[in-house]
Amino acid sequence: MATKIVQVHQKYAWKWWQKFYFMSITAGLLVTLKHFLKSAILRRQVTVRYPEEKRPLSSRFRGLHRLKKDEEGRLRCTACYCCQWVCPADAIHIEAAAVTAEEQHLYREDKYPKVFQVDLLRCIFCGLCEEACPKGAIYLDGGIPMPDDSRDRLILNKEDMIESVGGKLIGERV
Amino acid sequence: MPSMVEIFVDGLKLQVDEKKNLIDALKEKGIHVPHFCYHPALEVVGMCRICLIEVGSVKIDPQTKEPARDDKGQVIVQWNPKFQAACNTPITAGMHIRVASEKVKKAREGVMEFLLINHPLDCPVCDKAGECSLQDYSFAVGNETTRYREVKRNIPQEKIGTNLLINHNRCILCYRCVRFDRDIVGIHDLEMQARGNDTVIAYTPPPGSRDTLLNHNYQGALADICPVGALLNENTLFRSRVWWYQQNQSICHGCSTLCRVTTNVKNNEIYRYMPPEEPEKNGFFICDKGRFSTTDFSRDRLLTYLIKGHGSKSRDVLPQLADLFHQAHSLLLVGGTTESCEDIDRILSLVQKWQAKGKQVNWEYRTQPYMWRGEWDKKVDFLLMVDQRPNSNYLRQKISGFTSQEKWQEALQEADLIIVINEFAAPYSYRIENYADIEKLYLFKLFEEKSLWSKTVLLNTHANAATAKALASLPIMVFPEKAGTYIDKEGVAKKSAQSLTPAQGLLSSGQILAKWNDYVEQDSLAYV
Repeated sequence: MATKIVQVHQKYAWKWWQKFYFMSITAGLLVTLKHFLKSAILRRQVTVRYPEEKRPLSSRFRGLHRLKKDEEGRLRCTACYCCQWVCPADAIHIEAAAVTAEEQHLYREDKYPKVFQVDLLRCIFCGLCEEACPKGAIYLDGGIPMPDDSRDRLILNKEDMIESVGGKLIGERV
Repeated sequence: MPSMVEIFVDGLKLQVDEKKNLIDALKEKGIHVPHFCYHPALEVVGMCRICLIEVGSVKIDPQTKEPARDDKGQVIVQWNPKFQAACNTPITAGMHIRVASEKVKKAREGVMEFLLINHPLDCPVCDKAGECSLQDYSFAVGNETTRYREVKRNIPQEKIGTNLLINHNRCILCYRCVRFDRDIVGIHDLEMQARGNDTVIAYTPPPGSRDTLLNHNYQGALADICPVGALLNENTLFRSRVWWYQQNQSICHGCSTLCRVTTNVKNNEIYRYMPPEEPEKNGFFICDKGRFSTTDFSRDRLLTYLIKGHGSKSRDVLPQLADLFHQAHSLLLVGGTTESCEDIDRILSLVQKWQAKGKQVNWEYRTQPYMWRGEWDKKVDFLLMVDQRPNSNYLRQKISGFTSQEKWQEALQEADLIIVINEFAAPYSYRIENYADIEKLYLFKLFEEKSLWSKTVLLNTHANAATAKALASLPIMVFPEKAGTYIDKEGVAKKSAQSLTPAQGLLSSGQILAKWNDYVEQDSLAYV
């Protein structure tokens, strides 16, 4: 049985004037020129002096982890392990403990994270921990992570992440 | 003898056993009626009202005295206007019930809303989350909103047992713990106090007792039968979340009852035992002694070959022991009641081999005074036995041992080489509180007194004072690291699954003696 072969793809046939590349190069350079004029003349700004000077980040930017406190200054995290469980990179390590009578003003429930570590070397900044947290305790709103020459300093401890301000409530992140 | 009757559930005709509770009978047929206070092993009280069902009976025509039928020839069912609790409704032949009608669903939603009035909804903090009936049924039959606008009652958590905490806010007053203590354990020490909204479960010491805390051996079972997170065990508090555990069907080695259990394993460590699958067949309860003994399996393990208390390698130690074996004329094996049937069979075949070579080999499994008194069937409470060795029954069938304790002690003196099989290490096999207190042990004192250490080889799971003193100590597996069969006090063979991964190269007691024997046989070839 003879098979009828239909050639679906046909090679584009170049026109003679397209074989000179001046046309395309000019078109590309025009786009560059447009952007240059826009930023240099209209906005009067080309680069920022990072890291001394920082661009404002989008409110949805996912950066360093912050553990939030509530309005009364109590840590929101109750060591429910939801973030550790959901973390696809296995970057979070929590050890829970029971709150003693003396430190009850520091925590909201009777369970608190004795150890809360985020391994930045493992973290992929996907934001799933933020989404899983039932208490609105962890947010990735701490800015751009800085490089370091020591692995130890790239493991964030609880103290590194605690922010004294109240922070946003669940669902308030825009 | 089950007496089967016909009942109609949501229009479905089912054959069920009349003598059973309705909830159990329906569960067998695959219909799950939610319940909190009902427990198959406890008396029915009908307190929680979540198992509400509609019950109806067939309308009888007053003239003909026969079931009235409608136009289509179907019998007419008269439904009771009030709901009934399924746990408290006896099964009668021809009864009609509805377990999933709209009316029933609405009623359960209402009951759930009432039960959750004072519940703090702190599942992220609660240790019960994941195995909590309240959580499950709240998702299954509850409503996601509440109309309660008042302040929830807040009573602080308190300690009511040596290993038991009560969180009154989470309690739904199902009465299970009270019934369990009163009917199963036999100590009437939990009771409800106050009335109405203020009702709490409280510890009320039985008359004549001066205890301030509940201290019986079933506090783990109390936390386990609690359908919510109100009763919690202190020593497992916040250690893990329940959905992290790998589960294996195994047995508890705490005593010769050999309760079937589910092991909860995380990071190659058993966190606790839970009651087994199909508890109706395999037992609902396990005692605290077994349930919380599991941390011993990963603590203070002997993982190296010791000779005179110093670490060495198997290929250094075993040839030396093979030499000792050749020099020895009489051997005495001591213990072995903690080993599986497979290991015991292996050792027995070795013993026969050695006897055939002309060695005088004896094996005595009785190492504790209670064993010599023959207290094999004596109980501590309704589950725990005095005989806290898992496989003593099998050894009792297999070997006879010495006729009296004195003769055994003489034999200990006279033997050239003593091999002690896991007598100084098996966790919780001794009735001592802290098993690091190995020196208080009867056998340890006996070995000290008669200064037998210089001719003793230990097969031990744990490193302790005994392994430091003995001539040589060989590491062996603990029972969750190997699969095996054990014979319980009633002669029933029970299988224990492998739950933990052993350290690389670690052998069981039978295997390590076989390896020793390999060296012995190699050497005897050299002697020829």
